[in-house]
Amino acid sequence: MTKQDFRIVGKSVKRDDVIEKVTGEGKYTGDYHMPGMLFGKIKRSEIAHAKIKSIDVSKALAYPGVKAVLTHHDVPRVLHYGSPHPRSASCTKDQYILDDRVRFWGEGVAAVAATSEEIADEALDLIEVEYEPLPGVYDIDTAQLPDAPLIHDVGPGGNLVIPPVHVERGDVDKGFAEADLILEGEFAGGRPTPTYMEPNVCVADWDGSNKLTFWTSTQTSFMVRGALAEVLGLPLNKVRVLVDHMGGGFGAKQDLFQHEFLCALLAKKCRRPVKMEFTRRETFVAGRSRHPFKLWLKQGFRKDGTLVAREMKVVFESGAYGSHSPGVTNVGTASATSLYRCDNVRLNGRAVYTNTPIAGAYRGYGVVQTYYALDIQMDEAAEKLGIDPAEMRLRNAVREGDIAPSGHPIIGHGLESCISHGVEAFNWAAKKGAPDRLVAGRPSARKGYGIGCEMHGSSAYPGIKEQGNATVKMNEDGSITLLTGAAGLGTGAHTALAQIVAEELGVTFSSVSVVHGDTDVVPWDIGAFASHTTYMVGTAAKMAAAELRARVLVRAAEKLQEKAENLEMVDGIITVTGKPGTSLTILEAMGPSRGIPAEHLIATGSYMPTKSYSFGAHFVEVEVDTETGIIECKKVMPVHDVGKIIHPIAAQGQVEGGVQQGIGHTLTENYVIDTSNGRSLNAGLVDYKMPLSMDMPDIETVLLEAAPDPGGPWGAKGIGEDPIIAIGPAIANAVYDAIGVRFHHYPITPEDVLNGLRAKQKDGANAGL
Amino acid sequence: MTKTVLDLVVNGESRSFAVEGHRSLLDALREEAGLTGTKKGCDVGDCGACTVILDGKPINACMILAVEAQGAQITTIEGLQASPDDLHPLQQAFMEHGASQCGFCTPGILIMAKHLLESNPLPTDEEIRFGLSGNICRCTGYTKIFDAIRTAGKRMAETGMALPATKVEA
Ligand code: FES
Ligand code: FES
Repeated sequence: MTKQDFRIVGKSVKRDDVIEKVTGEGKYTGDYHMPGMLFGKIKRSEIAHAKIKSIDVSKALAYPGVKAVLTHHDVPRVLHYGSPHPRSASCTKDQYILDDRVRFWGEGVAAVAATSEEIADEALDLIEVEYEPLPGVYDIDTAQLPDAPLIHDVGPGGNLVIPPVHVERGDVDKGFAEADLILEGEFAGGRPTPTYMEPNVCVADWDGSNKLTFWTSTQTSFMVRGALAEVLGLPLNKVRVLVDHMGGGFGAKQDLFQHEFLCALLAKKCRRPVKMEFTRRETFVAGRSRHPFKLWLKQGFRKDGTLVAREMKVVFESGAYGSHSPGVTNVGTASATSLYRCDNVRLNGRAVYTNTPIAGAYRGYGVVQTYYALDIQMDEAAEKLGIDPAEMRLRNAVREGDIAPSGHPIIGHGLESCISHGVEAFNWAAKKGAPDRLVAGRPSARKGYGIGCEMHGSSAYPGIKEQGNATVKMNEDGSITLLTGAAGLGTGAHTALAQIVAEELGVTFSSVSVVHGDTDVVPWDIGAFASHTTYMVGTAAKMAAAELRARVLVRAAEKLQEKAENLEMVDGIITVTGKPGTSLTILEAMGPSRGIPAEHLIATGSYMPTKSYSFGAHFVEVEVDTETGIIECKKVMPVHDVGKIIHPIAAQGQVEGGVQQGIGHTLTENYVIDTSNGRSLNAGLVDYKMPLSMDMPDIETVLLEAAPDPGGPWGAKGIGEDPIIAIGPAIANAVYDAIGVRFHHYPITPEDVLNGLRAKQKDGANAGL
Repeated sequence: MTKTVLDLVVNGESRSFAVEGHRSLLDALREEAGLTGTKKGCDVGDCGACTVILDGKPINACMILAVEAQGAQITTIEGLQASPDDLHPLQQAFMEHGASQCGFCTPGILIMAKHLLESNPLPTDEEIRFGLSGNICRCTGYTKIFDAIRTAGKRMAETGMALPATKVEA
């Protein structure tokens, strides 16, 4: 199919789910209120590491309105993964629903169900917990000391979450021996959080047949079903998980949270529906963040800029539980095999437990950290070698056939296209070549320009062998229903899937409606993560639509007395090639006689993807105030190769939102834990500072179809995570361009800038921080 | 617990319900009036997801007690459109521009934007940014929200939906 043949794919058709969002009619989990519903609350520890000596709940139980209290004595003691991929390589089994020990400040120690939220809250204060404090570990370095207090008995030893990940290719020592320039540096990053606008919430209800119905704001409803069933000892058909609209997740709502188990257990105990909703504070304390990290990177370059050797050691801070650390460590470490091609690499990745809140899955999954280092050092090398930073990246950009982080040869390499396109469109050469960095009318400010690059896989293969499914059925009036298990976390994925079905089947977009979010009804789905919904479920939907189309055409051929291969179907009208005037509508071909459909038309596509990579290059302009230290991101041009654009506006929206979060992580966002006692210092929307309407730069998104992937629908690849990755190093590099101070960490605060400027003045050189 | 009977005009309709004294207007709207379109993103006045118009002024409904709103005229997201089939220009523009992703911030932002445009249908970029400075959106990067508000403002000015006569002081 050539480009101009697309009728629906590639157009920003109206997103059906958005009507419900703009009218306020869309139901989010917190909008469900049921008769007799109780409200659950969690008692959280006020100490970061301790054994629980005793818990006295008698006063809480006696409090009017309290219906049940659960402690570790009352819940099944099943070790679980805390994350809904029970049998995949990405998670560690190290959590109990409630334990006789707490491992971070804010961990749940008991749960209450009461007739109102206020009563439940008040009852929490009546629960008396006696702790026996244990020595705590609050940072990466301490966690790795030989005599560090141990946080878990499971795991490979020490405070390691998993055995270290080691990746080695080529001959690293030989590579360094051939290098004209060797750079070595240390990098680090804080603790950004996803801070989705909808706090975690769930509602549990059991019926008389001992079946649990569970509404929850999750990206992975089938995994929630699986983990709940496993821990509660139920068959899967006795757990029904429902999610309609959800207010963002950004990866973190892949975990199965403590409150979700507790909500189900409280509802069971009370025989009444129970709702549990996080406060905003709890979304920080009991939510999931990106992994803080420390990284050491050494690379060797030839005079012409060619990379010849790379050695990296990275340590990710997992917090009190493993959650996604195995996946993040594997993906983050392996990602450094690529982006900039290098035959000789030696990489070591670790994840360590600390007594801090749990780090989990978050958009950019380990790659944000490692590419931050890779791309800043690339800039340093370019300067040392006297090569333009964009040119330096072009010379080293990963190419067709290079071995990708997944271990597969790359099919389609979009990175060079992204860089070249951006260099032109951003007017890079002229901007970088400007004689000074002054800002008109702001004598204390300096301008700077920077570039950052990224690549990211659509799908979690090979870490997880994934499967995408879609069922498409035709109703007896010719309308189409698409059933998908993919979550609608706000990206517009359902619309993209409906477009794919309409395009492939040959019907109008408006004739396709989407059913989702009910594990009793829709085909199994692994969940919305790893930038894979459009890529993987899209291909499954296309397969199902193709099958349905073939069956429609067979029946139409009989009616028209033609060969099926001579028939075409467009917008639900079937025509015969070369015979204008002969046509049938779908309804005429398939319609019921006496109310009975001609054929029950239903088809399911099932697709197990391998891996495709999307690419991007971000170009940014910043202004740094040398008096206040404030960095403002003024302009961003993100250039992304997505293979094939299904819905341009939705794809742009992913990019713009990713840029927003990435700017935040790089400049202002850091969920701070007191390293003396593990307490949260800024668990709220005012103290955790995100870029908002006043802070956002102009974003001019460019989407390319440079390298379509054969595994995606018409070549489409993922775009969900990519935009959060390259923006960070692009900003750090632009700050250097503005003021000549290198930063190797994020967030880069005004204080860092002022200290850096002072150090630079003192040394008269480029002080690295 | 003692309850007070609260009489309100919500989206042009007289409503009364019994609420406890400590209940926020947000909880009363969501739980008593069944108007769940207004969202709770923080419950402490930091996010703007609960923005409603109370007697002509946009407020965070989580920050006032329901009983304080006694007798007030309130507009929520459910009252934005004149009739079920007739979307407000803002709703239309938000759909066209893709200004809503997860949609959790959308009701609050639409209500704030309505207030902004009714007094100033052709705001400058700075005025739009300032107008939304209390509304957090974590999904969109705001770009498409700004575009949608500009589009809607133009249409409102053209169709007289934002005449100076309806001007409401902030
Ligand atoms: S819920 Fe009211 S401001 Fe956040
Ligand atoms: S659309 Fe998700 S917070 Fe704005």
